[in-house]
Amino acid sequence: MSMEARFELLRRLSHAFGPSGCEYEVKEIIEAELAGLCDELYTDRLNNLIAVVRGKGDGRIMLSAHTDEVGFMITHIDDDGTLKFDAVGIDVRVLCGRRVVVGNDPKNGAAERTRVHGIIGAKPIHLQKGDERSRANKVEDLYIDIGAADKADAEKYVSPGDYGTFDTEFKALGGGCYVGKAIDDRFGCAVMVETIKRLRKEGVTPGCDLYFAFTVREETGLSGARTAAFEINPTRAIVLEATAVSDIADVPDNLRVAELGKGGAISIMDRATIYDTEFVQHALEVAKQNGIKCQIKRYVSGGTDAGVIHRTREGVPTLGISAPCRYIHSATSVFHGDDFGSVCELVWNLIV
Amino acid sequence: MIELLNKLFSAQSVSGGEKPVMDVIEAELAGACDEIKRDALGNLIAYKRGKSSSPRRVMLAAHADEIGFLVTFIDEKGFVRISPVGGINWVASAYSVINFENGTKGVLVPDADAKVGEYGADKFYVDIGCSDRESAEKLVKIGMRAAVAPQLVELAGGRIAGRPLDDKIGCAVLIEAMRRLEGNPDDVYCAFTVQEEVGCRGARTASYAVMPDISIACDVTGVGDTPGAKPMAVKLGGGAAIKIKDASVICSPELVQELTKVAEEKGIAHQHEILSAGGTDTSQMQLAGEGSVAGCISVPTRYIHSGVEMCDLADVEACVQLFVSYLSR
Repeated sequence: MSMEARFELLRRLSHAFGPSGCEYEVKEIIEAELAGLCDELYTDRLNNLIAVVRGKGDGRIMLSAHTDEVGFMITHIDDDGTLKFDAVGIDVRVLCGRRVVVGNDPKNGAAERTRVHGIIGAKPIHLQKGDERSRANKVEDLYIDIGAADKADAEKYVSPGDYGTFDTEFKALGGGCYVGKAIDDRFGCAVMVETIKRLRKEGVTPGCDLYFAFTVREETGLSGARTAAFEINPTRAIVLEATAVSDIADVPDNLRVAELGKGGAISIMDRATIYDTEFVQHALEVAKQNGIKCQIKRYVSGGTDAGVIHRTREGVPTLGISAPCRYIHSATSVFHGDDFGSVCELVWNLIV
Repeated sequence: MIELLNKLFSAQSVSGGEKPVMDVIEAELAGACDEIKRDALGNLIAYKRGKSSSPRRVMLAAHADEIGFLVTFIDEKGFVRISPVGGINWVASAYSVINFENGTKGVLVPDADAKVGEYGADKFYVDIGCSDRESAEKLVKIGMRAAVAPQLVELAGGRIAGRPLDDKIGCAVLIEAMRRLEGNPDDVYCAFTVQEEVGCRGARTASYAVMPDISIACDVTGVGDTPGAKPMAVKLGGGAAIKIKDASVICSPELVQELTKVAEEKGIAHQHEILSAGGTDTSQMQLAGEGSVAGCISVPTRYIHSGVEMCDLADVEACVQLFVSYLSR
């Protein structure tokens, strides 16, 4: 398969509009891809999409990837037609000059699905005075400019409460790397879709029932995974994520998290979860036996949907596999193409 | 008590790696309960049937995990870098002997240029005596757990010092209470929980399984009776500390009153505890399902999260008696 074809789905998922709370477009793409491939495909009350593939034996494995991405919410429209906003999960120092898309969805009460292009602006350097030049912009200093003439004009396209995301074209870089927005966690979503397709294509019936949960609102507090896991009541869980790597520049060796191109990063512990020791050992063993690249996530940082899944009901042994991803939570996340194959292969060998 | 504590101390149980100490606890509970179960997260729940015709479900909990470290990196000279598991006091941990879960030993040392005020995980390494990465990797693996070596010394006046009294002293209290308990009217579910030190995670799933009507934790609490200590009414040797509140929970007033009444009636030394920082498994048990009447009997402890945590054995005995008396009434 050519690289272009291999990442066509991830490209479309990366382009899709899906800040936490407005993941509808992402879900529609996944639903269309999975149509007719699952034993059950349903949406729960919080808008998690659950795809079920029945297996032979007892037990239920929950695989989970979140559909939402870091983004913005419009809080106010100024008289001059610019939009004030709040950012969720983003380093606001990297925002100025970024292209963004602002929009909403009828399911969130909007009259229709809207998508408006804009850019994030700030006072130009010529006009900055005193300490404005030496300090980074705060979110209060920034605004989104959609080209509107004034407030009344802007209100034709945007309302307070609308959502925003980065507007980034998915592209191949050199060295087998790719850049796009929302790789965290459309990477995991794409791995799950590919896994379901492969199960059907190869006519494989898994050892037990598989519940693929495409969850909402991870970035704002793991909300979707919490209710999905309660409903699924899994006996085991595998959380597919993207992790920061800090594998370049002046980061000393002992503070690096993982490295691009060396396979999925298996977590031992992060801020929200201590992963199941035996499940981790099993995954490392499976990877070794099958010659699949993988690495251990070395630094204890961040948190994933595993934080709520492993504490569900009477407890769930949980494994976390993350795509190494540079510049995570920015407009331009970079991952290595080989890691996609490594993660898919590891997941495949863990479930069949 | 000393013998039991030594057994519990010898089984390292850094959060997420509690199985060795659970095996010790299970052996110690032999004959003291009707059923023992472990759940998916590794919690051990011992059940003792109640004699009442309509028994309530009473859950007890002490956490079996201890604070420690996780290996994150081994450098080319064989020095081992670590991340903390739970609330590590770096000043108290500096220059300590470290035990890894496979038996490898090392010493925890701050970088030579680290100032005390900057102490943190990034400034510490474990020297295991190896001079290169290759030989170190034969002994220690990324992801391996480790802890400051346990110790237990007997001091004057029936006091003991060492680590990890938090919360193996609580485990010892509950083991002893289960051994002494006879003819309890209510069903008792005695949980030895995992992962308390990283956010009371084990107690959450254990209490979902038990769905208690009443729940009582047993954990250590700080004291205000040492030089420079923050004012606090609890003191070492003052008896079992009946918790009123900490940063994670407001205990159910009716249970605080009931425990106080039982202590007064039986002449058990007791005091009331209001802890300004820190939390316990009580917080999770109180919120299980539709909620439970929840409290905590604490063992007053000096120097918590250091290598020389200190308890008074008379307080420990008072805690055991209060549990047994409350559960027997």
